[in-house]
Amino acid sequence: MSQYRRPVIISPGLPQRRNRAPWQRHGRAHTRDMRALTVSLSVLAMSLAIAGQLVHLALAGQTSMTTTLSHPIANSFARPDIVDRHGRLLATDVAMPSLFADPSRVVDPNVVVEKLSELLPGLDREALRRKLSDRGRRFVWVQRGVSPAMAQQIHNLGLPGLSFKQELKRAYPAGRLAGHVLGSVNIDNKGLSGIEQHIDAVVGADPVLGAQRSRKAPVQLSLDVGVQHALDDELARALRRYQATAAAGVVMDVNSGEVIAAASIPGVDPMQPAQHQETRRRDRVAGGSYELGSIFKAFTVAMALEAGLVTVNTKLDVTKPLVEGRHTIRDGHGGGRPLSVAEVFTHSSNVGAGLLALAAGPKRQKLFLDNFRLLTPIKTEAGRVAAPQLPEQWQRIEQITIAYGHGMAVSPLQFAAAYSALVNGGSYVAPTFLRRVAGESVPRQRVLSHATSRKMRTLMRLNVTDRAGTGGRADVPGYRVGGKTGTAEVASVGGYKKKTVISSFSAAFPMDEPRYVVLVSVFEPKGNRNSGGAITASRNAAPTTGRVIRRIAPLLNVMPAGTVTALSAPR
Amino acid sequence: MRLLSISALFMALASAFLLYSLNYDARTLEARLRAQEATAETIRADIAVLKAERAHLARPGRIEPLARAQGLKPIAERQVVKMREIENRLITGSATPR
Repeated sequence: MSQYRRPVIISPGLPQRRNRAPWQRHGRAHTRDMRALTVSLSVLAMSLAIAGQLVHLALAGQTSMTTTLSHPIANSFARPDIVDRHGRLLATDVAMPSLFADPSRVVDPNVVVEKLSELLPGLDREALRRKLSDRGRRFVWVQRGVSPAMAQQIHNLGLPGLSFKQELKRAYPAGRLAGHVLGSVNIDNKGLSGIEQHIDAVVGADPVLGAQRSRKAPVQLSLDVGVQHALDDELARALRRYQATAAAGVVMDVNSGEVIAAASIPGVDPMQPAQHQETRRRDRVAGGSYELGSIFKAFTVAMALEAGLVTVNTKLDVTKPLVEGRHTIRDGHGGGRPLSVAEVFTHSSNVGAGLLALAAGPKRQKLFLDNFRLLTPIKTEAGRVAAPQLPEQWQRIEQITIAYGHGMAVSPLQFAAAYSALVNGGSYVAPTFLRRVAGESVPRQRVLSHATSRKMRTLMRLNVTDRAGTGGRADVPGYRVGGKTGTAEVASVGGYKKKTVISSFSAAFPMDEPRYVVLVSVFEPKGNRNSGGAITASRNAAPTTGRVIRRIAPLLNVMPAGTVTALSAPR
Repeated sequence: MRLLSISALFMALASAFLLYSLNYDARTLEARLRAQEATAETIRADIAVLKAERAHLARPGRIEPLARAQGLKPIAERQVVKMREIENRLITGSATPR
């Protein structure tokens, strides 16, 4: 190595070389110094970047981080609670253990199946044995939604390979109450029918991995649990009392269209979705359409009054049967004399109703019923309402039979909504199972004049108070009940069954200013000691309606009155 | 220049330590948050079960037979009176138990 060093020239006029800035130097020193400067500046830049990031973190605070998956991974769905109009719980999610197995850790599938079968009798043993024998799988469901006590018993068996996972399970604390309206959910907590299906479609059920409850606000129904129970109870009593095959009833607010109660007996348990498929348990309020008989005369009379064809005092000759082709229509209780329109209503004259329909003509009759939404399908939050069944032709005979409720079929819910418009001053309001918010404007359409609605209220009240009326047994002192009876023979192959009927009573109360409509239908009642041997609506559906109103009127804050007021004589 | 480099190095080390401690604190806080959320979820689930049980016990189908066994009945129309009527009866002294 050469010890040569470059001579240092000391000049008083020039700065020394080591004091020069790197960019002022030349040669190796220049390169070395430039490297050091670069490194220093880089370290400084990194330090400043870190310091800046720290300041940013300190000032910005905690940032929210969201992880979005391309596909929701869930094993069940969290659903909002369902409550009645007063906030009483009808459906909720509760966390329940679900039993699963890891087949690769199961020692002996046969032992597991045998021991579990003793605790869970409904277990499909063969299917479980097959699943547990598949060692390639790491996860198989054994039983979803077992009770905590059962989970403890299974845990105590000490079988390796079995474990529990918390899942949400729908619970219905009120049992069968309003089962048809609420609907049901499947094993994954997804809505299958009724309001539960509405929640999935409109409100939303959140996919969850564990047992996290929904944060959504409860879905508030228009139903009143107290009224629903009273209706359920009285319908079940009517079923036994009149040896009927089924009974259905609906209570509706005539001004808001809110369904306060809707029951079909035999009912369904929402916890058992399979019951919804049983024919005898089908929803007869909205799930089926029926010929409802003479309660339809209310529309026939209203149509004639609205069109100005008659007044309530106009006399009709109902002494002779009405003959149309090979059909002859007779009155069961005509009295053998001409009847006024009011008497046609209170005596429930088929001939009189037929004459009114013929006077109106087919076009007007169809238009009138269509305005009341009786000819087209309707829908509610609880699902589709059974579509009306209409005649293929609308000839004179169809005009006559439809005038007294035969020849076309509608669901009781659809009928109750239309009937509300007859008594509420003449406005149609669509039925709803959701509670309306106070002050909410209710969509309504005028379908009848105030004057005709008032006359109809008077006639309905007269039908209950008049000795000759058919609805006397529906009266409840103080609550001014009015309504119309209807006994419809059930159609079968080749005609109608004489002794098999659907007896209905459509009522409204209090009749001076109606607030609620109550429709009760008793299916295939028997004439027995409780009904005086008769199967007509006046002996079964009417008294049942009266008993329902007696119980629900105080719950609905309807003030009883000692005397009937504000009901002037019909003109 | 050397002073600047040493300062920068020191700042970098200090920042690294600060970041580490912040990260550690954040993880601790996250763990606490998760634990508290789990507790809250458990309590919410317990409340839901209690509400369901209360609704089940208070269902009208259970209460009605119990009430009837105690001699209670649904309200009759004669039991509903307006406050004004009660006042009138008190004034006229015609209030008699029915």
